[in-house]
Amino acid sequence: MAISPVYALRETGQNLWRNFLLSMATIITIAVSLWLFGGFFLFNYAVDNATARWEGGIEFVVWMNPDATEEQNAGVLDAINNSPAIREYQFVDQAAAFEEFKEIFADTPELIEVVSPEVMPPSYRIVPVDPDADVVEEMASQFDDRPGVRTVVSANDTIRDIQSLADEVGRVFLVGSLVLLAAATLLILTNIVSAIRNRGREIEIMKVVGATNWFIRIPFMLEGIVQAVFGAIVAWGGLWIIDRRVIGRFSQPDSLELMAGFRVDSSELVFTGGLVLVIALIVSVVGSSVAVTRYLDA
Amino acid sequence: MIKLENVTKAYKGESVALRDANLEIGKGEFVFLVGPSGSGKSTFIRLLNREEVPEQGKIYVAGKDIGSLSSWKVPYLRRNIGYIFQDFKLLPNKTVAENVAFALEVIGKPRQVVRKQVPAILELVGLSQKVNSFPSELSGGEQQRVSIARAFVNRPLILLADEPTGNLDPQTSVGIMRLLDRINRTGTTVVMATHDRGIVDTMRRRVIELDNGSIVRDQARGVYE
Repeated sequence: MAISPVYALRETGQNLWRNFLLSMATIITIAVSLWLFGGFFLFNYAVDNATARWEGGIEFVVWMNPDATEEQNAGVLDAINNSPAIREYQFVDQAAAFEEFKEIFADTPELIEVVSPEVMPPSYRIVPVDPDADVVEEMASQFDDRPGVRTVVSANDTIRDIQSLADEVGRVFLVGSLVLLAAATLLILTNIVSAIRNRGREIEIMKVVGATNWFIRIPFMLEGIVQAVFGAIVAWGGLWIIDRRVIGRFSQPDSLELMAGFRVDSSELVFTGGLVLVIALIVSVVGSSVAVTRYLDA
Repeated sequence: MIKLENVTKAYKGESVALRDANLEIGKGEFVFLVGPSGSGKSTFIRLLNREEVPEQGKIYVAGKDIGSLSSWKVPYLRRNIGYIFQDFKLLPNKTVAENVAFALEVIGKPRQVVRKQVPAILELVGLSQKVNSFPSELSGGEQQRVSIARAFVNRPLILLADEPTGNLDPQTSVGIMRLLDRINRTGTTVVMATHDRGIVDTMRRRVIELDNGSIVRDQARGVYE
């Protein structure tokens, strides 16, 4: 005999209301764990997109000393102009560098106060003809020892830094989220076991009058699923905030050079949201199934 | 309606609860199970409801061997068996009507059936004026009437009652027995475990006496002892 949707929803709602605090704790734990899990995916997408941008136009930056002489600047510029391996370059002078610095550190005016355009290093941002990493490394190294050059940063270094950082952060996100997902599963189980014990007499009557096991189980399982779906919705909100407020901020043109290119496509955001929902459903079904099969035997 | 063939039930580490029991109970019979505490009355009733399974022997209910019934079929067996508890087991947060309706809702009966059958059964047990009362607002006798209504609302073939008057005073018990007798007259088989000598002696129905798990007496129109 089919279970009435009205009955199932009413019973599920009553269960959730009776265990309100435990339900809230479960929803919050699920939300945080799914947020971390989804955050891991978004971060990886952002890194992939950022590094993909570098691969499409590998470049390196020749940073000059702020006090480099005109002759030293001219020497570097001649080397750039005379190199057939360089397709184009952009010169960022001290004033422009200072403007970038002010925009990056707009939130820390005390830092801006102690810096002046004179101490900012001008730079040549170079796009090579051949984007091969070894070629770029080789070209970059030719500028290292030139008079007036402070340092040369190649895109490959940046990529490695980002990837290394992404790996570390990703591991932390993933391990943290898996631990929390396990905690969420146990919380769902505990919540349902508590609900089963609270309704011991009802369950006894249901069995005596001939309710099927599934009829008894479904409201409890729905309880776990509802908690997981609410947790997933909250996690979605958190992921949207990560996308808009954190990753979106990196991708703005006035952002840190290292982070430029960090972005998540809307399709990737939707996929991550869907994945978060699927994980939530798996967690809830596992938690609630264990609870009902172990504590609601025939 | 009910047939036991060489049924033995023992619990781990305890003495035998029911020993080599053989008997038949026909459709529409009213049977008292009597005997001292621990004699096997409750085990007998639990076996009929398939809450327990015998170690040996076979139990037939309405022609079916319920010992070999798959666990998923047990709920369907129980829909043909009403169960009345000594302590009523009403749900305190539901009204009289809701308590009775609950027994129909959880076996998936349509709402229109519930709306039709609940007032009818409450009329039968004499609680038409108490449909919206909560169990805490009822006397013991009224609570047991609700329990009977819940057990009988699905019109089962068999009604099992485990000391239904055990918590009631003698006068109230008489009213409950009149109700069970009335239900029995509709053709429902009633099996009632009891310690109440007065009721058994007054009703003069079939008496099955158990002692230490064995059937020691099976008497038509019997008395308590």
